[in-house]
Amino acid sequence: MVQPAPRPFSLLAEVTHRCPLHCPYCSNPTEFPPVGDELTTAEWRRVLNEAAEMGVLHVGFSGGEPLQRPDLAGLVAAARSAGLYSNLITSAVGLSRDRAAELRTAGLDSVQISFQSDEEPLANLIAGTRVHAKKLEAAALVRELGFPLTINVVLHRANIGRLPQIIALAEKLDAERLELANTQFYGWAFQNRLALLPTRAQIREAVEISFAAKERLKGRMEVIFVAPDYYADRPKPCMHGWGSRHLTVNPRGDVLPCPTAGGIKSLRFENIREKSLHWIWAGSESFNRFRGTEWMPQPCQSCEFREIDFGGCRCQAALLTEDAANTDPACALSPFRDRLAGIVESVQDAPAAAFAGGPGGIVYRENPR
Amino acid sequence: MSPLSLTERPKLSPRARLQSDKVTGRPILLYPEGVLVLNPTGQAILGLCTGELTLQEIIARLAADYQAPAEHVSKDVIAYLDRLRAINLLETPATAG
Repeated sequence: MVQPAPRPFSLLAEVTHRCPLHCPYCSNPTEFPPVGDELTTAEWRRVLNEAAEMGVLHVGFSGGEPLQRPDLAGLVAAARSAGLYSNLITSAVGLSRDRAAELRTAGLDSVQISFQSDEEPLANLIAGTRVHAKKLEAAALVRELGFPLTINVVLHRANIGRLPQIIALAEKLDAERLELANTQFYGWAFQNRLALLPTRAQIREAVEISFAAKERLKGRMEVIFVAPDYYADRPKPCMHGWGSRHLTVNPRGDVLPCPTAGGIKSLRFENIREKSLHWIWAGSESFNRFRGTEWMPQPCQSCEFREIDFGGCRCQAALLTEDAANTDPACALSPFRDRLAGIVESVQDAPAAAFAGGPGGIVYRENPR
Repeated sequence: MSPLSLTERPKLSPRARLQSDKVTGRPILLYPEGVLVLNPTGQAILGLCTGELTLQEIIARLAADYQAPAEHVSKDVIAYLDRLRAINLLETPATAG
């Protein structure tokens, strides 16, 4: 029986994949379509309006670096007039005073700035470019203009030991929200997972530090710790289920159930240049493929957690088992658990890889051409 | 979190936006990464959290409007505001920057 499609609540608008940073944990695809294919301002306006009509409440302007689009304020204004709550997900590179004021006037609701570390040399090393000082300036500017500020720090083996200092930085910058997000291994991050995956001891310590901070800062700063699913027994309830609450539109207009779903080669994703957003959400094969629980193989099909974690992440199943329909190996019950466990065990006693590019080193993210 | 004092003047954080939901028509509170659907009580409480009235005045106002004993209203209001404080949606002089 076909169920009516659920209501979507959030849209991630990846307005460009261009980015001045080269973070090796980037979850963007490693193969980009040509830059010239990016959606136009008018096409994005249509996407935003259609999303709002469908019930979407939040839009995140992301990328790549969304500030690379000169028409960003126009898109923000369109989101605002559609009644969407907008968040700018940015590296802050390009966030000049004029640009920030323009976005404020356009009705931008909140700003999320990524930091690579609290200390400049390490932060710049991770970003692959000198950006830390600019980020500090931009964060101060964001607060000065009255935006709520979220700081997002992607954690990995090279910076997770700086957690107390990272939390102190977010406090100093007067952030209202701090996301401590362990690297999720897709895109560029997947290529670099042996270098990026922290050890079990590092994770244990990070959990303690972040939970203490969460308690201490309650009511002042919301602290969110996104645990690394490679160390979990239960998989993450990815996107709260495929095609359940969230949709992503990538720079060329492909509509995806999550930002990394484009990596699932067995699925063909529809494009807003050919179909309406509503049709794609409700009627497309790609969105219906993993909706609900009927598609599930065993052990998910008969699992008591099937409507709690939805069998985990389809992208991760595809990456680690070559079939997106398999149980996510982040689940201890997955028959493919050894594929993930092998990686986890191999990093425990290995020395940390030098955080540098070149042969045998980390692969830094490159830009679409 | 320290307990709210009756002399504080709670104010809805500027990071939250109150609007009506396009699909259901119900009042909702939007904030970064979240949404709260407001019931009539919640809406009445938040409508008074403008930073002008003290918590004591808010309770008195609601007790009069709902013709309910102040001690019951007080318990409900404080519990509701504590929920908002826990997700950082309420400014009080102690938290306002």
